Amino acid sequence: MFGSAILEVAIGMIFVYLLVSVICSTIREVIEGWLKTRAAYLEHGIRELLHDRNAEGIVRSFYNHPLIFGLFTDEYKPSSSSKPPGILSRGRNLPSYIPAKNFALALMDMAARGPDTDVVTSDPSGPILSLESVRLNVANLKNQALQRVLLSAIDAAQGDINQAQANIESWYNSGMDRVSGWYKRSTQWIIFAIGLLTAVGMNINTVTIADYLFRDETARAAIVARAEKVETIPGSSSANYSEVKQELESMNLPVGWSEGWGAPKRGRPTSEVGRWNNWMAPILGWLLTALAATMGAPFWFDMLNKVTVIRSTVKPHEKSGEEASEDRQIKKEIVMEGKTAGSAQPSLAARVSAPLRAPQPSIPPTPRDAESSLDGCELPITSDTPDENLPPAQGGVA
Amino acid sequence: MAHSLIWLPSVLTSAGLKVARVGDWENRGRGDVGPTFGVICHHTAGGRNGNMPSLQILIDGRSDLPGPLAQLGLGRDGTFYVIAAGRCNHAGSGSWQNLVNGNSNFIGIEAENTGLGNDFPWPSVQIDAYQRGVAAILNHVGRPADFCAGHKEYALPAGRKSDPTLDMNAFRTAVRAIMQGTAPPPILIPPAEPPSPDGTPGRPTLRRGANGELVRTIQKKLGITVDGDFGAKTEAAVREFQRSLGLVADGIVGPKTWLALDK
Repeated sequence: MFGSAILEVAIGMIFVYLLVSVICSTIREVIEGWLKTRAAYLEHGIRELLHDRNAEGIVRSFYNHPLIFGLFTDEYKPSSSSKPPGILSRGRNLPSYIPAKNFALALMDMAARGPDTDVVTSDPSGPILSLESVRLNVANLKNQALQRVLLSAIDAAQGDINQAQANIESWYNSGMDRVSGWYKRSTQWIIFAIGLLTAVGMNINTVTIADYLFRDETARAAIVARAEKVETIPGSSSANYSEVKQELESMNLPVGWSEGWGAPKRGRPTSEVGRWNNWMAPILGWLLTALAATMGAPFWFDMLNKVTVIRSTVKPHEKSGEEASEDRQIKKEIVMEGKTAGSAQPSLAARVSAPLRAPQPSIPPTPRDAESSLDGCELPITSDTPDENLPPAQGGVA
Repeated sequence: MAHSLIWLPSVLTSAGLKVARVGDWENRGRGDVGPTFGVICHHTAGGRNGNMPSLQILIDGRSDLPGPLAQLGLGRDGTFYVIAAGRCNHAGSGSWQNLVNGNSNFIGIEAENTGLGNDFPWPSVQIDAYQRGVAAILNHVGRPADFCAGHKEYALPAGRKSDPTLDMNAFRTAVRAIMQGTAPPPILIPPAEPPSPDGTPGRPTLRRGANGELVRTIQKKLGITVDGDFGAKTEAAVREFQRSLGLVADGIVGPKTWLALDK
């Protein structure tokens, strides 16, 4: 029975942590919704991925590409700083998520037709999106590192444009894993701060609660019963803030400030409440709660499942599917992660890859540049050259 | 350093065309050209008078547009003026055969024509030289006649340009015929008049650079300074004389011009 009590306290604590984590994640999402740090990280990740740290060339064209431009409002105004964004950077109006497919198609399109959208790149007589035209016109990108990535992606595809697209998508996804990592780390700091504020603000004190649960068998049974109910409801960890707060309050735990500072006194003689209990325990308890919150709701949800399984081997209990617990993890922070490449449906690129006209010349044409839009015929000519000033001609006589 | 299109005059000359090199043409250009895929045909929309009144503008450009404005100018008499061996600002924004940098990937030929009703139809000697010149260039770069575009066909947005005032499909058909060798060979000016019935050899064809007694004869008949030297002034006077009679104003005194001078 002793082991079970410890386990039950653990289940109770995990359940409390789960609820706190959900509260913190919800607050984090509210802050994120206002700051859009995720978009700032994504933008920086794109800069790194496309080897254009100052967003002067291809990154600007990329965000202005119609396939990407539709994902956010307003215009793309890159910050001049090439430094990675801070944990509270503002993402302004930029997209916080770019689908891998959009990324790959936009990149191939920019390589084949040219980076900027204008009368020439939108003209139907322009190059048709195919591996050959991407290869020939890759100099359009004016970015050697990116050209090399694209060339190796289309070469590795062995003539299959879907495969080339998948290669680019997986390259993008691996880059986005890094971005997710940055964002996760920044989120952990923020959630720790939020967790600490929540722990102090609502007086959720690990030490007090554990102590209380250990001593009070009825409360323990109640919270375990509640926790067991949670694990059978998939997706409950994404419950909204007010529901969770209600839940936490309804459990009659020693939280909140209604009983004053420290609040570990319930059912205990006042004499035991000394300096430790008054000062150190609350601070330690709050810190522990905040640290627990940084682990995130999915972690605690999974933990709850695992611990319940351990417990069910001690007590007969309806077996919960441990295997399923991993799947139930909701990747709340990692929304940026791209979808896996290579869907069953043929991509847009594949459908237009059929040759509609004679193959292109095999020598790479010159991409457009600063002076390629200059021409001067049909404009008024002011001074005529007299015949006397013409240079002497040769040829034409047998 | 000379630019890449250094082969232009020799290719045109061997096609039987009249070629005039503008001084320092080898080094002229907005940098060097990229790989050459074809030719874009223009007209200058210049003055009505003279053989190639737009030449200086094509070389220098204008205050708002740096020259050269084309590699080749084509005079009304069918003479190709080789202006630059490098890149020229002739094409602007547009697309032809999936090529979008016309200035770098196409050779520009500016034919002298006002582009107005007062200069239509074009002189047949000029059209013929135009088609033969384009055919010679395309043969040299190894591209079919489809790589010859009118500026009006290349330029984007559609309708931005209206030059040249030629039917480009008919033009390409003619170029294709020349390239395949099904067209008649070019008509060259005979080197001398046919010998007279009594066996005396005819007068030789004279052009700029000639001198001697026959040049004095020409200068006397034209009523200009008689110095026996067929220079730029004499050539201009011959052109004016030819123009007044409706001959090809090329400044070359061949059999037809000799006949006209005799009258």
